[in-house]
This record gives sequence, C-alpha cells and structure tokens, in this order.
Amino acid sequence: MTGLTGEMTHALVVCFSAIFTGNMVLSYFLGLCPFIGVSREIKTAFGLGTAVVFVLTFTSGINWAAYHYILVPLELDFFRFILFIIIIAAFVQFVEMIIERFSPLLYVNLGIFLPLITVNCAILGVSLFMVIRDYSLIVTVAYGFGSGLGWMLAIVSMAGIRQRLNESRIPYGLQGPGITLIIAGLMALAFIGFSGVLQGR
Amino acid sequence: MIRQKKWYPILYMFLVTVFFSTILISFSRYTRDLVEANRKLAFEKAVLKALSIPLPVTASNMDWHNTYLEKIKEPQEDLQGVYIYKSDDMVIGYALPFEGQGFWAPIRGVIGIATDKRTITGIAMYEQNETPGLGAEITKPEFRAQFEGKQIALQGNPLEIKQVTEELDQHSVHAITGATQTSIRFEKILNDALEKWKTEFLHGDNRQ
Amino acid sequence: MSSNKSASKKIILDGLWGNNPIFRQVLGICSTLAVTNLVINTAVMCAALTLTTALSCFTVSLLRAYTPRRIRMMVQTLIIASYVIMVDLYLKAYWPEMSANLGPYVGLIITNCIIMGRCEAFAVANPPVPSLVDGLFNGLGYSLILLAVSITRELLGMGTILGYPMPYFSTLWDKWIIMVMPPGAFFTLALIIWLCRSIQTTGREKTS
Repeated sequence: MTGLTGEMTHALVVCFSAIFTGNMVLSYFLGLCPFIGVSREIKTAFGLGTAVVFVLTFTSGINWAAYHYILVPLELDFFRFILFIIIIAAFVQFVEMIIERFSPLLYVNLGIFLPLITVNCAILGVSLFMVIRDYSLIVTVAYGFGSGLGWMLAIVSMAGIRQRLNESRIPYGLQGPGITLIIAGLMALAFIGFSGVLQGR
Repeated sequence: MIRQKKWYPILYMFLVTVFFSTILISFSRYTRDLVEANRKLAFEKAVLKALSIPLPVTASNMDWHNTYLEKIKEPQEDLQGVYIYKSDDMVIGYALPFEGQGFWAPIRGVIGIATDKRTITGIAMYEQNETPGLGAEITKPEFRAQFEGKQIALQGNPLEIKQVTEELDQHSVHAITGATQTSIRFEKILNDALEKWKTEFLHGDNRQ
Repeated sequence: MSSNKSASKKIILDGLWGNNPIFRQVLGICSTLAVTNLVINTAVMCAALTLTTALSCFTVSLLRAYTPRRIRMMVQTLIIASYVIMVDLYLKAYWPEMSANLGPYVGLIITNCIIMGRCEAFAVANPPVPSLVDGLFNGLGYSLILLAVSITRELLGMGTILGYPMPYFSTLWDKWIIMVMPPGAFFTLALIIWLCRSIQTTGREKTS
C-alpha cells in the first residue's frame, strides 16, 4: 500500500513540477514553434492548449506501454523515435476522426489544431524524457498531463500579453517573433521563481 | 503500370521501412557492445576516482578498466550494493553508489569511504545533466576535492553542503555559488545514501 | 551553365541569409535552443541537424518520382527518423559524454520543422544534388545563428568559449548567471533576430 501512495505522491510532484518548475516551453524550449506562431489570440491559444493537454496525456501513456511491452522485450529500444512519432500521428488522426463524427461543434473549435500537434516537439519530448527518467506508468501519465497544462498556461498567458501589445509601437525588426521571444524570456524568468517550491524533491 | 495499383502505396511503404530498418538494426548491432562498454566504463571510472586510486593522466580506457578489474570486488549479498576495494586480500576502502533526482535529471555517482567507515576518500559522478556552468560544476575536481577527508557525522545529517559564506567543519563542504537548487538536491541525494550506510554499517559496529 | 551556377548561388545565399530558417522563417529552434548554453553542445547539435537535413533532402529527392503523394509525409518522417537514429547511435557509441549531455534533444531533431519544411518546400520538386545543397545550406544558416547565440551565452554567462577561459571575461567580468539559465536563451535569440532583421531591411531599402 505504501508503494502505491509513494507512487501517487511522486506522480503529484512530477505533475506540479512539469507545470511550474520544469515547464516544457519556458525551461526545455519544447513546442516553441506553435508557441510563437499561434499565440496571437487567447481563444486560439486556449483551443490549441486544450488539444495539447488531451493528446499529451494519452500519448504519453500509450507510448509508455509500447516502449515497455514491445520495444524493451525485443531489444529494439532505438526504434522508439519512429514508434513514438507513428503512435502520436496515428492517435491524432484517430481523435480527429472521432471528434468529427460525434461532435461537430468540438471539431470546429478543436479540429483545426489537431494536425498542428503532430509536429509539436513537446509531445515527442515528453515521451523521450519519460524513457530517460525511467518513470512508471502512473508517473508518466501525470507527467504528460502536467506538461500539457504547463504548456497551455504558457501559451495562454503569452497570447494575453500579445493581445495587449497590439496597440504598442514596436521597432520593426523586433515585431512578431522577436518581441515574443523577449516576453518568453521574462516569463521564463518569472517561472524560475517557482523552483524553490518543490525543494528537495 | 504497377504504380496505378491500389496496393502500391502499401508495398512502397513496406519496402522503404524494411530497407531503413535493416540498416538501422545492423548499425545498432554493430555499436551495441561499444555502447554497453561505455556505460560500464563511466561507472568504473567513477568508482576509481571516488576511491582516489591514482591513475596517470595519460591512462587509456583500457588501463582504467584493467585497474578496476584488478582492485574492485563486486558487491556481495550482505553488502547492500557496496563495492569493496581490496589489495592483497586487505580491504582498503568501500565504494557506495548513490542516485537521486537532481534539478534537471537524475544524478548518479559513487562515494568512496575509507576502512574506518567514516572518512570519505572522494566522490565522483557518472551521470548528471545539471545546468552547465552552475549545477554541473559538481563534477569539477575543485568541488569534488572538498569531500576528501571529510567525516560522516554520527548525529544529524551525515554531510552538509553550506553557503560559501559559512564556516566549514569536519562534516561540511561549500555549495556552488548560484546553483542553490542543485546543491540542495545533491545534499539530499548524498545524505540518503549515507544514512543507509550509517544504519547498515556504522551503528552496527558501534553496538559490537 | 552560368544560369545553373547562379541558381545554386541563390540556393546557398537564401539558406544562409535571405530566407534564413531562424530569423526569416522562425522554424525549428526548439530542439537546439535548449543546448545553447555551451558552444560545444550547440556545435554538435548543429552538425547533426545540418547532416540530417542535407541527407534527408537528398533521399527524399531521390525517391520523389516513386513516392505516392498520399503517403509522402509518412515516408519523409521515416527517412528523417532513420538518419536521426543513426546520429544518435553514433554519438552513444563513440562520444558517450556528448550523448549524455544532449539527452533527448538529438531525438527531437525528428520534429524539427526545418527538415520537414525543406523536404516539402524544395526536395519533393527538385533533383537530388540541388536538394542536398539546399538542405546543407539551410542547416548551415540555422547553425550560424545558434552558434552566435551559444557564443554569447557561454561568454557572458561563464566567461569561456568552448571551455577555454577568455581574457577579461573570465577574470574581471561579473558573470551573468541568467545567461546560462533558460531566459538567457530567449533574450539572446530575440536580440539576434532583431539585429539580423534590421540589417536585412536596411539592406533591402538600399538596393530598392
């Protein structure tokens, strides 16, 4: 029993640290392309963020199972790059089909973001980190969920800030990606402040 | 035309996959032994460094490996994973492996302990991914050298990593400036391993 | 012949400057930005990326006549992933320390948008050799910026370049710890993008 509670605590800690101290974009630079490209409006940022949370939570679990039950027994662990990508792409396609059939409303809101997710490195990144850090299944899913939430938090706040910047005068060369990166830097700086929260964990 | 057939994409994908898989599998078979040897060698080097067994700077990987085989005994069942350094059947030191979560990724290493079971002969890391220039300084000789000759404290924390401004005693070393997170975590990792060492070996001895 | 020469010159210049993947297209910074706190790590990552881009473009172009359109993305992913795995295995076997430093980021080259972008934008419609050149110089254009980022970060943050102490910076300079932390990467890259874009626009105004 203690093993299970210990596992749950670990999962909780990993989940929180993935949101705050080890944020996917702000400290690991993963998923930067959509972070810069799709953060002009809060609404779209929120849609993409939701899709990322959803896909990350499930693919991290599926990839964990595929890695530990297929690749490890076959001693083909170097194939994980290909397998993970295929699983992610297939999962995204599958979800897209399901949503399209059963919930046209959700499809309109979320559907357009799904293809963007396959090329989001945060998704593959989570799966690769889980292998390197040797997480168990529960911890992996918690990590996937936390990473997704952290990514969403970052992109939604970024979109909020950028909407306010619309009226500001920014030097030509700094417009677009330049100023976005500077804001991201300031956000990363703020997020470093969280690193004391989980001290010693 | 074969390319107009419905099954052509499947056949094509299959052929491409088989082609690349064959290359990859043969390449990985070819490098596997080397990868495994590298992993072992990193650990062996850490053990030798922690025990302060001197090797010339020019020593090749093979020299390290042979020295390790010659001097270090693999842990036995009653030793809780502790490696023993022996020379002519005399125990000269113990190597205690440790691991735990650092700031970014796990830190794994070895603590060398002298025969009195209290004096540290050195520490060495074989796996870490802390911030270069900050946390990663724990692998630098200047930081590691601080541990040599320190005593495991019987009361309280076995070792302490203190702020640079604080005074040191027999059980403490200075932290790395700017790398607070790594230092705190590293202290905990070391002490977790040393607490186990204390209950297994030190306290047992005291009772006798 | 001369038109051929000017065409390849255009490919090279576009990759390096005119249509630079980073400050013009803002693509694929994710996998490399994370390792820009040390010049050596960045150099290895950039070399891996340039190699993978060039070879993937070459292969995609070679197979372009036989690849069914519907499954071309899958085939491209497979090709890119195969090259990345080879690089990863090579580093694991022959440079294990570097492989450990780069961690998961070598694998993340697969999702680097530049490679897929170049395959889609150029290699699917052009012969193998120009595709190879296009991939190579886009990779180099990318490396140029990231090396600039990493040199700035290592110099200001640690006072060294490639691990060698630099005069003034390693002694008198008060090291900016923020530079080796993640925010430093964002700030440096933003300033470099600003600089490059400004130079580019003034250049264009002059010519027009």
